Amino acid sequence: MKRIVSLLLVLAMMLGMVCFANAEEIAAPHADCTLPADWAPFAENVTITVPVYDRSKAGYPAVDDNYWTKWIQSEFGDKWNITVQYVPIPRGDVMTKYSMLIAADETPTILMEYDYPKVAQWAADGAMTTIDLDAFKAVAPTYYQAMVDNNQLGYTDINGETYFVLSERAYYNTTYTFVTYCRMDWLRKVGYDHVPTSYAEYTDAINKIIEAGLTDTAPLGLGIPTAAYIANFGYRDVKVNEAEWAIHSSLGTPCFSWEPTKKMLKRLNAEYNQGWYSKEFDLSMNSSGASTDQQQTDFVNGKIFSYGGYMGSNVAWMNAFYENNPDAELAIVSSYQGVEEGVMDAPQFRSDNPFGMIVGFSSLATEDQLKAAWMLMEWMIQPETLYVLENGIEGVTYTIDEATGLPVVIGDYMGEGMLNHNMNIDMTCLVHAVKKTGTIEQTIAGIAPQGLPVDFTDAMIANYYELKEIADAGNAYSDPIFACSIDSESEYSATLLSLYQVDYAKLIKCDPAEFDALYDELSQEFLDAGYQEIIDERLAAYEAGKTTKLPAGKAAE
Amino acid sequence: MTKSRQVVNQPRRGNGTLNYLRNHWQLYMLLMIPVAFVIIFKYAAYPGLRMAFMDYKPAKGYAGSKWLGFGMFEKVFKDKDFFTALKNSLVFNFLDLGLGFPVPVILAIMLDQLRFRRFKRINQTILYLPHFLSWVIIASVALNLFKPQSGLVNILLRDAGLVEEGIPFLTEKWHWFWTYLLIGIWQNMGWGTIIYLAAITGIDTSLYEAATIDGAGRMGRIWHVTLPGIRPTMVTMLIMNLGRVMGSNFERLSAFANVNVRDFQYQLAIYVYEKGLAGSNFSKATAVGLFQSLVGLILVVAADWVAKRLGEDGLL
Repeated sequence: MKRIVSLLLVLAMMLGMVCFANAEEIAAPHADCTLPADWAPFAENVTITVPVYDRSKAGYPAVDDNYWTKWIQSEFGDKWNITVQYVPIPRGDVMTKYSMLIAADETPTILMEYDYPKVAQWAADGAMTTIDLDAFKAVAPTYYQAMVDNNQLGYTDINGETYFVLSERAYYNTTYTFVTYCRMDWLRKVGYDHVPTSYAEYTDAINKIIEAGLTDTAPLGLGIPTAAYIANFGYRDVKVNEAEWAIHSSLGTPCFSWEPTKKMLKRLNAEYNQGWYSKEFDLSMNSSGASTDQQQTDFVNGKIFSYGGYMGSNVAWMNAFYENNPDAELAIVSSYQGVEEGVMDAPQFRSDNPFGMIVGFSSLATEDQLKAAWMLMEWMIQPETLYVLENGIEGVTYTIDEATGLPVVIGDYMGEGMLNHNMNIDMTCLVHAVKKTGTIEQTIAGIAPQGLPVDFTDAMIANYYELKEIADAGNAYSDPIFACSIDSESEYSATLLSLYQVDYAKLIKCDPAEFDALYDELSQEFLDAGYQEIIDERLAAYEAGKTTKLPAGKAAE
Repeated sequence: MTKSRQVVNQPRRGNGTLNYLRNHWQLYMLLMIPVAFVIIFKYAAYPGLRMAFMDYKPAKGYAGSKWLGFGMFEKVFKDKDFFTALKNSLVFNFLDLGLGFPVPVILAIMLDQLRFRRFKRINQTILYLPHFLSWVIIASVALNLFKPQSGLVNILLRDAGLVEEGIPFLTEKWHWFWTYLLIGIWQNMGWGTIIYLAAITGIDTSLYEAATIDGAGRMGRIWHVTLPGIRPTMVTMLIMNLGRVMGSNFERLSAFANVNVRDFQYQLAIYVYEKGLAGSNFSKATAVGLFQSLVGLILVVAADWVAKRLGEDGLL
């Protein structure tokens, strides 16, 4: 027995050595960029810590120690005598991780988030240092100029002090990177040659799909929301009351008790009671594209009509969908699908802020650390650096499209030099939110999923123009940004999210005849649980002129 | 011989104490490990408790944070969500104790009665195993087994004609109440038998022989010998468990959470997480934690006093 075990161990070792010997030797190119002439290496090594989202994606290397973190160190850090350390931040629990780091006096040199209330809280709590934008400009002129070009300088202050610099978000007023697909083959079977472009068509199609028995489960996916954002833009009046918008429209706390939310929930209630959603929908959390999402599993298994997610060169759930359903046909859902007079008069959606990451700096950082962090940002924003970080190594992680001369990422490459989530976006988000390649058509081609039986590039471009048409009509706008922290929000937001999750399930599952009464009762409870305090504080800030305004022409008279 | 060894082992004053330590230093070094553990991880954290009396901001530290005195406690005690969480914690923990405490005792006695050793060991191993599974694993398996529509248990019950509609074991608050408690008892009962089996092993076998001669049957021996023999252990365990009735297991509660059961699932651990840690309000989290510890301490001291009054050894 012992001999067999020994033999097996030796064989395993030999196999490992053979694999190692066969491991590809890859080398990423140098990023030959032009940097400010007055930069000089630090006399003594400076260590900076940079946060990076940890999305716990299977098959991906550690976010804080991989081929590309090493490349950044060798290409940038070693040259300027800077040690760049990455700090993993769990994507689903950002605030807790930051709180722990701050409490342990381990605040990362850079603190960054997409949401204003979060960074406002860090600034208010003293975790961030104020900065001098002129000093920043002297070290990082390209980054600063990008902020000027993108009209971002108005967002750098809070409570009258300058704390932030902002990364770029190209085409921010369209949500083209998030795409929802539906089963076009099912639509054809029930007599449609196009995706529904009104709620009447949508209702008809779904009911026909149920009648035709094209799936043995409920045809649509639904889950309990895990984020505070309520997608009720379509249910808002086309001309919005600005004060209502200022106190309710937010990513920080669910705007339950606002009329558009009631309209949205009422429609979901009607749909649920027609059998569109699983009776067990309240047992799964909808985490918008997370790999554990029940809806994703159901879509991949060919059980439900539609599903959406962020696009990139490698979209695992789309690969899995086509493996399981090789004969299926997918199409991109129209933004007009929900339009119904009196409920959703026109398609509207939440555009992003005119910036990506809001970047601040630790109050514990030394002058050298601040300078080193700014140098990293200046180096990373150079096109040559971004090109390598977002495409990788030619012939290994990408090829060049002969027709366009543009890089096409090899979506299924999983070797040593593989790009991390969405083409290293969690590192490059320091300088921009989306990979950008020339024109919008080229940019979309750069994020279209690769390796599928169908090329969705043209469909994604058409989807972009549909969104742009809506945005150009003034129906895509964002939430207000407060130039002061809303203290009650940090106190109540977690509890209110939990409460909203409970109420969401109750209201969707209740008898339609009881909906209005139940809504009134639950929304009052919600207000009493802290939401009233939040909207009072927001209203005071709005009246004091400490918020951004609606775009011109959007506010109701 | 025994007597002379006892004399050697007695610590004496002066050189005697030094000689004693020199001879037995290894034992004291071993003792230092748990003592150091308790000092570092329990007592060394005590200075941090002052954040319960201030509006602590991590970035400002203790020196820069505002002193509130009992302000944070007042805020907590005025919060109706706190009382909901407190009520739920107390009800669940007392029921957990009431239902769960006798089970390991009964199980240990049943295991002790098994005469076929291999069968006994296999059973013990099977019973211990759930203790090593995390609540996340147990809850995800349970949620999938007990789903009202697509759960295996309900499918079997429906196919067998025993129910028409699936039983919402974990998706309706009253069903959740009992399922949650019973799964907790199932997870801990095997592990809890270890200490009672050890206590049973320590009972003098001549007592069983004497009881048998006096005509006691199997139940008589259990009633008159085994149970009195393990009574001090039971009292000790009861006192220790009483100290935990103000406690709350965040992992277990969050693993079994779903939106339909929040009325009961909202216990102190969830309160501390949502209103304390998630909002970076460490002061509130600490204030609630300190309150839980103080009540737990009072319960332990009171139970110890009662036990001593009843003629038991007690714990303290």
